Amino acid sequence: MDIFSKAPKSIATRLFLSATFWSVTLLIFAGIVLSALYRTSLEEAFDQRLGVYLRAIVADVATAGEDTRTEPGQLGEPQFELALSGWYWQITRLDVEKAEIKASRSLYAGKLPRLADLGVVPGIGGSRRGNATGPDGRNLRIVEREIDVGDEGIYLVQVAGTTDEMNYQFWQFLFAIFATLGLLAMALIATTALQVRYGLQPLRNLQEEVGAIRRGEGERINGTFAEDLSLLASELNLMIASNREILERARTQVGNLAHALKTPLSVIINETSNDTSPTADKAREQALIMRDQITFYLDRARAAARYGVVGASADVEPIVSALMRTFTKIFQDRPVHFSAELEGAVRFRGEQQDFEEMVGNLLDNAGKWSHSTVQLHVASCEPVQGADLNQSFLVIVDDDGPGLPQDLRDAALVRGGRLDESKPGSGLGLSIVVDLARLYGGGLDFSESPLGGLRAILRLPCV
Amino acid sequence: MRLLVVEDDRDLNRQIVTALEQAGYAVDRAYDGEEGHFLGETEPYDAVILDIGLPLKDGLSVLELWRNAGIKTPVLLLTARDRWSDKVQGFDAGADDYVAKPFHMEEVLAHVRALLRRAAGHASSDLSCGPVKLDTRAGRVIVDGNAIKLTSHEYRLLAYLMHHTGRVISRTELVEHLYDQDFDRDSNTIEVFVGRLRKKLGVDIIQTIRGLGYLIAPPNDQPSSAPGATS
Repeated sequence: MDIFSKAPKSIATRLFLSATFWSVTLLIFAGIVLSALYRTSLEEAFDQRLGVYLRAIVADVATAGEDTRTEPGQLGEPQFELALSGWYWQITRLDVEKAEIKASRSLYAGKLPRLADLGVVPGIGGSRRGNATGPDGRNLRIVEREIDVGDEGIYLVQVAGTTDEMNYQFWQFLFAIFATLGLLAMALIATTALQVRYGLQPLRNLQEEVGAIRRGEGERINGTFAEDLSLLASELNLMIASNREILERARTQVGNLAHALKTPLSVIINETSNDTSPTADKAREQALIMRDQITFYLDRARAAARYGVVGASADVEPIVSALMRTFTKIFQDRPVHFSAELEGAVRFRGEQQDFEEMVGNLLDNAGKWSHSTVQLHVASCEPVQGADLNQSFLVIVDDDGPGLPQDLRDAALVRGGRLDESKPGSGLGLSIVVDLARLYGGGLDFSESPLGGLRAILRLPCV
Repeated sequence: MRLLVVEDDRDLNRQIVTALEQAGYAVDRAYDGEEGHFLGETEPYDAVILDIGLPLKDGLSVLELWRNAGIKTPVLLLTARDRWSDKVQGFDAGADDYVAKPFHMEEVLAHVRALLRRAAGHASSDLSCGPVKLDTRAGRVIVDGNAIKLTSHEYRLLAYLMHHTGRVISRTELVEHLYDQDFDRDSNTIEVFVGRLRKKLGVDIIQTIRGLGYLIAPPNDQPSSAPGATS
């Protein structure tokens, strides 16, 4: 099972958690191994000390028969004299029916347990080493050895020392080592965090650059990247450039196709216009149908070519100014006054041509129906509720024309729907606005205008 | 009125030229951008019908070159690229109007009439001078309520003068604006047409300004005090 399967998806967090996990695990393991080694070393040293005492007593026992002046067990260590000090020796004669026991004064009236009885196997040299509970209830480290002194008998010599001191030393070591390792772990975690931060900085920079392109604030990935990322950055730049090029080529082809089809259609329409024969009528009728179909499908083809284009954005103010100039010229024979008002600098998140197409169609529609006034209002860019990263703005087009009843507003948005044949146009304008606005995640709505006519409200994404 | 049609499709070019000639205009034609650019720069046209998609030099480049050279001739763009961005580009390049393809010839004629009218500073398509009324849409001339039948050359002469009411028009200017480039130009024919026109109109609105040219003005607004003015 992947222990990180439920972990956060950020690479930085994953790297940090993974490095921390392994550092801490290895430090704990190192602590355990060091403690075990230290414990073994302590026991070895303790056993050696007991072994010295044991050998001294064994020598005493072996020479006791020859030199009567020597009393076995005279080690000259005060802890063997103090009652229940935790340090004991005991000599037991084994070859007599009733065991003769001689012991240190410290053992007082007690007896040391025999390791042989506790199942401890003799080691190298025939001595046994092990732990047992002493007469005072304390844990003792015991070293014992049987010696055969011939006619003098067989003796079991035991020396014991309390493990309290050793345990104390061990716990002191344990505290010191884990405190040290704990501090080391904290230092490692801190350096890991710094390393992850430093190591992933180029990735974060790349992420910010890509984000800027997605938001339409940049056109390509800029800056210098680490060697292994610079290739990815240049590949991404190539991909973005290729995306734009494909789009541009698609647009040019669509434009060329429009030109290639519409010019012969003009010829057919005009060639048949002065001919009243049924064949000419049919040809003219079909040519007009073809004209509408070409317009409809070429607009959709353009919209499809644009879908998913990365990083496009356009400043609204110059587009609105250019449209105002254009409409003032187009409507110069009619007493229609076009005016525009912008609340502030707004940047449309999308293709400039699409913005021109949407607003151009709305202004054209308003101009056709208005009596004297068309007003364009561009509201400022505001965050969309519930989505922190998305912002949108409104383009409001008002006219003082006859307006549109509620029941006809939906019909005006239907593909190719035209409500009044008396005004020129293919009737595709508003539905193209709806389609384009939806492609950008926005929408078109109608309401009554304070000028008395129709108000078109276009919502679009902004940067 | 003399017009230039720059359209690479020969059929469409022919249709437009024919329709314009039938409407009483003198028309020159060009089939590519370079030829169109040259004609527009060297001949005094009253308006140009210019296609955007042209071989050798595209329509917008031709238009920009004209405007940069100070040529203010009204230009009607013909475009198959009917997006607003194309239209904005066209108007910003100096176009005065546009017609999207495919179109009915009446649309082109209406736009040309409006262009000429606006260029001469007239608000209406009906031009009048005293009792003479010129309906540019129908191509009719009415004097005191009666329709007058004119030949195409007579109509062109009257239309040009009425578009420029109150201004003295030289014979050279009239020759340049009434005949296409293939016509055998002879300024003496102008005097013949003026004579016939005066006779057919029956009202004295065309004045000869000796040494300068012709002036059209209402009968009671004649510059009788002007030196050399004769009827």
